[in-house]
Amino acid sequence: MGLMFLCYLDDLSDREARGFDPWQEGRDSVFVVRKGDSVYGYFDSCPHLEGMPLPWRKDAYLDAAGQEIVCAAHGARFNIVSGACFIGPCKGQSLTPVPLTFSEDGRILARLEELTITPGRAD
Amino acid sequence: MNIIGPDSLVFGVDDIEACTQYLTDYGLESVGEGRFEALDGTSVVIRSKDDASLPPPLETATQLRKTVYGVADQKVLDDIEAELSKDREVKRLSDGSLESVDDMGFTLGFQVSVRKSLSMAAEAVNAPGAPKQRDVNVIGAEPDADPRPRTLSHVVYFVPDHAKAEAFYADRLGFVTTDRFTGVGPFMRPAGTEDHHTLFMIQTPPHMKGCEHFTFHMGGPTEVMQAGTRMVNKGYQSFWGPGRHIFGSNWFWYFKSPLGCNMEYDADMDLHDESWKAREAEIGADTSQVFLFQHREKWAPTGPPPPNKA
Repeated sequence: MGLMFLCYLDDLSDREARGFDPWQEGRDSVFVVRKGDSVYGYFDSCPHLEGMPLPWRKDAYLDAAGQEIVCAAHGARFNIVSGACFIGPCKGQSLTPVPLTFSEDGRILARLEELTITPGRAD
Repeated sequence: MNIIGPDSLVFGVDDIEACTQYLTDYGLESVGEGRFEALDGTSVVIRSKDDASLPPPLETATQLRKTVYGVADQKVLDDIEAELSKDREVKRLSDGSLESVDDMGFTLGFQVSVRKSLSMAAEAVNAPGAPKQRDVNVIGAEPDADPRPRTLSHVVYFVPDHAKAEAFYADRLGFVTTDRFTGVGPFMRPAGTEDHHTLFMIQTPPHMKGCEHFTFHMGGPTEVMQAGTRMVNKGYQSFWGPGRHIFGSNWFWYFKSPLGCNMEYDADMDLHDESWKAREAEIGADTSQVFLFQHREKWAPTGPPPPNKA
C-alpha cells in the first residue's frame, strides 16, 4: 500500500501543523501544514542537522502567527508553500517535501511509494 | 577585570505565551515583566521582538538581543567603560548598567552582579573506599523532587570569526581560554569565576550568527536527569542528551525551545585557576561527550574561516 492516511483536511484549521509517525518509529517523522485550503507535507528533519526534528513540542512547527515554519533547535525559518529556508543556519536549503494526495472524502494521504529517500536518522 | 559571569540573557521573541510556559516548565520563577529567575537571581528576560526598548536584533534568525554580565563592583564597571570607550560607544543606562557591543556585533550589558549567594548542598554520592558523603538512612532517589535551576551557567554563540571573537573577550575583558576546539572556537571564563566556561563560541558562516544554546547549573547529575525527565513528561523535545561533556566535564541535557535556540540543564562543571593549561581537540562526537544516552553524531554546524583573515 503506497498511500498512508494522515488525517482529514477538516482536522486541521487554517495555519495549523501536525506531525505524524507513519513508520511507527515512536516519534513524528513527517508533518503537514494547512494554509487556506491547501496542505503541504514535509519530512520532520531540519536541513542543517539532518535528522533533527523541528518542533520544541509535538506539532509546534509554526511561528506564533502561523506564517512560517520554524526549527526550534537553531531558529531556521521556512516558507510554508515552498519549504525553502529564508533565514537561519540552513538559509538557501529546503525542507524535503512529502508528496500528498487528497481523497474525495477529505482525507490527506502521503504518497509513500514516490519517496526516494527515507527520513534522515540521528539515532 | 572581575567579571563574574552572565547575569541575564535578554530575548526578543515571536511567541511570548509559549516562552512563558516553557521557561516556567523549565523550572525558572516568573517574577514579572518578562523576567524568569533561577534561585540566585540570574535570569532569562523575554520581550516581544517588536519591543522598542530592546537593542536592535542581529541580521540573522537569532532571538537573543543582549547578554548582561554581572561584575564584582562599581570599580569594575568603570574599568570596563574606560576600556571599551577607546574604540566603541558605551552607553550608561538609567539603571546604572553599561551597554556596548562585542566585535561580532552581539550587544553586551554590564552591571554590578545581582547574584545572591546560595547555601545549598551538592548532590551527595557514596562509593566503596571513599569517605561517606550521604549519611546512613538518607535516601538518594526522590521521585517527587522538583529540582530548580541554581544559576545561569553559560551561553554559546555562533560567530563568523572565532579568532577575532576570542581576542576581544581575552584582550578587552580579561576572559581566559580554558580549552579550544581546533579551528572552531574557545571555551572561555571571565576572571571572576572558576567555572570552566561561561562563554563558548563556534565558528559558522555569518548567516548563522546568534545563540546556539544557554544553560543553568543544577545541583548534580541526578537533578539534570530529573529536570530533563520533567521536560520530556511535559511534552518538550530533547535536542541532545542526557550525557556528559569532555571539555568542562559538565553533565548535559539539551532541549529545543521557542526562543529559537536550545536550552540546556548542566551540572558539575570543572573548575580551573591560572595554573590550568588549555587543551585543544578537533570538534566531533568523540571529543564532545564521554557518554550519551541518545546518540548524536553531529551536534553543531561549523564552517571554514572567513576569507582574507588577517
